[in-house]
Amino acid sequence: MVSVLNSIDTAHEDMIHDAQLDYYGTKLATCSSDRSIKVFDVKGGQQRLITDLRGHDGPVWQLAWGHPMFGNLIASCGYDRKVIIWKETNGTWGKLYEYSNHDSSVNSVCFAPHELGLVLACGSSDGSISILTSTGDGSWDAKKIKNAHTIGCNAVSWAPALAPNALFDQTGRPTLVKKLVSGGCDNLVKIWREEDGEWIEDQKLEGHSDWVRDVAWAPSIGLPRSIIASCSQDCRVIIWSNDGTSNTWNSAILNKFKDVVWHLSWSITGNILAVSGGDNK
Amino acid sequence: MSQWGESVTVEFGDLQATCMGLDCLGKWAVLPGRRVLALVDLDNPVEKVHRLTRQSKYDISCVQWNPHASHAHWFSSASMHKLELYSWDNASSKQVCTMKAHTRNISDIDWSPFDVNVIASCSVDAYTLLWDVREPKRPCASFQSVCGASQVKWNKVTNNMFATSHEGDVRIWDPRKGNTPVLYHTAHLAKIHGLDWSPFKENCFTTASQDGSAKFWDHTNFRQYKGMLKSGLPVWRAKYTPFGDGLISVVMSTLSRGDNSLFMWNNLSLNEPVHQFVGHMGTVVEYMWRKKKEDEKDYQLVSWSRDQNLKIWKVDSQLQRLCGHEVLDCVDETLLESTDSTREVLQSMSAPEVTMGTSQSERQTMTLMQEFSLVNKFIPNVTINVLDSANRYCSMSINSGKHAICVTVTFPEEYPNNAPPNFDLTSSTGLPPALIKKLLRVMNETIQKSVKKNLNCLEPCIRQVASAFDSMNLEERKTPDTDPFPVTGGFHAPFIHPLPFSGYQDNSIPFPRTCGAQFNSVGLLICFRRSKEAIIGEEKTPKALSELAVISSTNRVRSATSSASYALYSRSPPTPKSEIGSVGQWYIQNKRQRTKSRTFKDIPEGKRSIGDKDRVVKDKKRKGMRLEPVLIYDTHYLLNIHRELGEKYSLNLNNLTAMCEHNKIEAASVGRRDLVRLWSLIPVIHNPSLHPDLNPDAGTPWAQRPLGRGMVESLMNHYKSIGDIQTLAMLCCVFWDRNYFQSLSSLNSNAIKKSASKVSLEFEPVNFNSDTMFGSSTDSGWNFLPMSDNALSPSSQLTTISSPMATIAMAPNSSTPSRAMVKLKRSNSYNDLSFEDYKFADESQPKETIEEQERKQHESNCRMLDPSKYVQFDHMLKVYADILARWGLRNQAAHIKKHVTVRPQSHSGIAEDIIEFGVRCFKCETEVRGVKCTNCGHPAFHCAICHTGVKGSSNFCLNCGHGGHSSHMQEWFKHETQCPSGCGCLCLKWNPF
Repeated sequence: MVSVLNSIDTAHEDMIHDAQLDYYGTKLATCSSDRSIKVFDVKGGQQRLITDLRGHDGPVWQLAWGHPMFGNLIASCGYDRKVIIWKETNGTWGKLYEYSNHDSSVNSVCFAPHELGLVLACGSSDGSISILTSTGDGSWDAKKIKNAHTIGCNAVSWAPALAPNALFDQTGRPTLVKKLVSGGCDNLVKIWREEDGEWIEDQKLEGHSDWVRDVAWAPSIGLPRSIIASCSQDCRVIIWSNDGTSNTWNSAILNKFKDVVWHLSWSITGNILAVSGGDNK
Repeated sequence: MSQWGESVTVEFGDLQATCMGLDCLGKWAVLPGRRVLALVDLDNPVEKVHRLTRQSKYDISCVQWNPHASHAHWFSSASMHKLELYSWDNASSKQVCTMKAHTRNISDIDWSPFDVNVIASCSVDAYTLLWDVREPKRPCASFQSVCGASQVKWNKVTNNMFATSHEGDVRIWDPRKGNTPVLYHTAHLAKIHGLDWSPFKENCFTTASQDGSAKFWDHTNFRQYKGMLKSGLPVWRAKYTPFGDGLISVVMSTLSRGDNSLFMWNNLSLNEPVHQFVGHMGTVVEYMWRKKKEDEKDYQLVSWSRDQNLKIWKVDSQLQRLCGHEVLDCVDETLLESTDSTREVLQSMSAPEVTMGTSQSERQTMTLMQEFSLVNKFIPNVTINVLDSANRYCSMSINSGKHAICVTVTFPEEYPNNAPPNFDLTSSTGLPPALIKKLLRVMNETIQKSVKKNLNCLEPCIRQVASAFDSMNLEERKTPDTDPFPVTGGFHAPFIHPLPFSGYQDNSIPFPRTCGAQFNSVGLLICFRRSKEAIIGEEKTPKALSELAVISSTNRVRSATSSASYALYSRSPPTPKSEIGSVGQWYIQNKRQRTKSRTFKDIPEGKRSIGDKDRVVKDKKRKGMRLEPVLIYDTHYLLNIHRELGEKYSLNLNNLTAMCEHNKIEAASVGRRDLVRLWSLIPVIHNPSLHPDLNPDAGTPWAQRPLGRGMVESLMNHYKSIGDIQTLAMLCCVFWDRNYFQSLSSLNSNAIKKSASKVSLEFEPVNFNSDTMFGSSTDSGWNFLPMSDNALSPSSQLTTISSPMATIAMAPNSSTPSRAMVKLKRSNSYNDLSFEDYKFADESQPKETIEEQERKQHESNCRMLDPSKYVQFDHMLKVYADILARWGLRNQAAHIKKHVTVRPQSHSGIAEDIIEFGVRCFKCETEVRGVKCTNCGHPAFHCAICHTGVKGSSNFCLNCGHGGHSSHMQEWFKHETQCPSGCGCLCLKWNPF
């Protein structure tokens, strides 16, 4: 019983590369090769164009909405090596911050869980991952993981802020973890962890035989395990799981598709995965 | 040095072949010309020549026969980015398959010497691909590097190893290891033209480079080359001899000076060649060893040169011996002597060999005329006015914005050999001299780089200057008054920066997603995809963005600038509609090519694509890109959570039976039968008769029995497995009350609170109503929400205290009975309130411990959920509250959040932590953080009224810092507004409390 709620004609002039709904599911943002980002109000089946954001000098690859406790925020990244954070203030959208310290196309952006504050991770074809942290006074602190993936990083995704092993912790307040997973052209999936302000490689997962196109860390609903899905140019989707106590990750090939698989998305309960790839399905 | 002529020469003047292949049986040579493919019978090369016409306007760049005797009739050739496999059967050839995956010209191919079906191909598109010819649709492995490869060669001794050369670097790969090279080493500073593995030694190979040397390597020890062979001219190829330890090399000759011989070297003495094969009139492009017949002692070397001559050279045992090869059946003294004598002769003859490269002017990589003819005249913003090679002079103008500069270049005679050309800049539009200086510096840097390597530098130089000039102007344009582009506002043509390496890294940028499905918010799935006309069918989606550039450049109308093809997006015209090579066009073009190719198979490829391009361009102008709408799906039904339930579920633990009844009806209305049963089960579990006894000795509590905690946990496990966070959270609310944690934390924090009491008047208000089960539950002062969590006493009608004010008012009155209860029931939740006297607490604690532990154990045993997992339950509640918030059901979310055991940190920040004020001791003037001065031992804070140190509670003004005993202050400020110290501060006004 899956029904179409809404169908939005975006009127983009070229291919759409990403579409994302905000926290409440009322606003839709799309980005395209025509260098623009469009935001629509889709509340209650309507489709009203709120704004058309221009600022990228090349195709825009991916978008991410921030948590509403920080206001209405969109981060976008594109071929022009820029990451732009857009903010709505009193109904008008404008650039909040522009980060252009990458040497090649930025392929992926992802906001961290809101418990960690306003933090954004960006993966670029120059092989590095940038972590931008809002200091709260309007400026942003950038940390770079250099050479995270040789040849290029294609996707980043944050882990839930509460580590699964913290669920057994009885000593008091659970500690939050800053972890993220990335996939790149070296066919690897890597897990990164922040320790004392430095990002270090936690795990390296080998399994794909071609570029990893997307990674997605499943949201946690309080189960003592972590799950990561990764998909690759080799047409495979691999599910990596960790039992929360040890440091080993078990892999299972979910499926081998006929064409490149380039996008993954978990449902909020973490039990359904949407897979999409080059076959337009 | 011995010099012998060829034994056989055949000329194929019409062929124009650029490469040659020999089959492994030594029978056939293939010479792929532009129009015909000539197959030459080496036994009778003059007469037996088969010519096969081919229909392609592209040259075949490389060709190779299968090296396995079983498939000796196969040969493969590469033309443009296609690899084709032919089968040759004496008089006719048949195309077996075509392998397409490279996006730019294939530079080299090599059959695996171990697997009959495997062929490697490398290309300037930075990929090296391995193909299995049984599966020609896609490569069986791909290896990527940053820059394109010029050679690929399999190891001849050991399997699973091949080497590729990239400019001056060599990478050694193991196909089993995937995309990472086993070894990566810089062998030369200039481009490597030839690479060859030793036929005998597993680890050895040679490289021939533009820098005029060939080096021997052992890849197990890459730090130092094993030997080097020097020549004044770039070495084109250096190949091992199949006998002894020898090498044959070929240099690249230039127009002015030709040394088109093949040189044979003994690898043990690399000072001079041991033999020279003289005869070719043009550069030798390829030479190979013919398979010798078993009874023959002589090897045959077959070479093909630019002069379109095929020559077969005999290499007899004497020559073989020169390379250290021991011919067993022919130990001939005289021959040995003769070689010695030839060597002597050779020494005297080697003089020209040494001088070969010394004359500077001869070493030119390219003459000026050649360079001029090759200069790309379509560099953006640059107009070339004069190119005069006779007077060694050229001039051009560069435009950017409102400025223009004129550049004149004069080339000295020696250029480019260590003689930089002279550049002169003049500006007609009044460019500041500082900027001109800057440009000159940019130019000189570029020139120096090239000239050092004796490379031609005109074009790179012009490009650098043009881009530097452009960016300078850009900076200027960015000044506020001239900024033509407002930051916000309607659509404007964005200015495109000329990115310095645009397009260079495109091959590592993944091909963009053009469709996708995304779970967002709660239960909504967004899908976007390409329009129907852009569905590509069986063809595989490309991997990297660089393939777009290739397609757009091959399909581009001829007059367009070729340089722009690299600058895919960054230099394309600003309006998206005219953008060349966008992703959308890729799909549409691809589709069209396919449909056309089905109908007109015979039209040569080139014509087809050009026609196609024109058509697409026209189409584009007629209509814009058609896009499929973005669809939003409702997938709640897949998720086991329901918005309606989230909205309508009631959560009233005071009347559990009614709540369950209500929720049962709601669950039924959304068709969740399992939930209906669950909600009817809960009241049964909560039956008052099953409530645990307070007395640990009264028997096992119900929770510890099979249908107690075990059942609840198995229920929860079920909902965990189906991802029903909604039901999980509701179960947590019902079976879990957070008092447990509070009692725990109050115990832990007792010590802290005692010391805290000096600053704040802390009330621990008590709720006396639920004295049936655990005594009373404690409500800490900062919780402003009414408590409704007396879950285990649903029958008793509660009068919950609804405001903190009421609690405070009530607490003192009822303090006596509460203390009595403490004594009676030893409920630790009273500790905070009753232990006003610290001594009492200290004394009583040791006595309590054993009983306390037992009681705690019992209490946790009584619970329906395992108390040790409270963090997990909390997390579930938070997740569900987050989902409710996403649905916009904030009231419901707040209700759920009330059940969270651990409060979010932000709440406790002010309320729970002790705010400490630094005090300056009034006696000894030291900074003190506590109550007593660490220095003199006196109470540090000074009362402004009684002028003594303050031990107990104190108040002070945040403005002037004066204050004193709370009781004194209260009294004072009943009548006064000014500070008692007489400082004149209006304390009441400054302190809102």
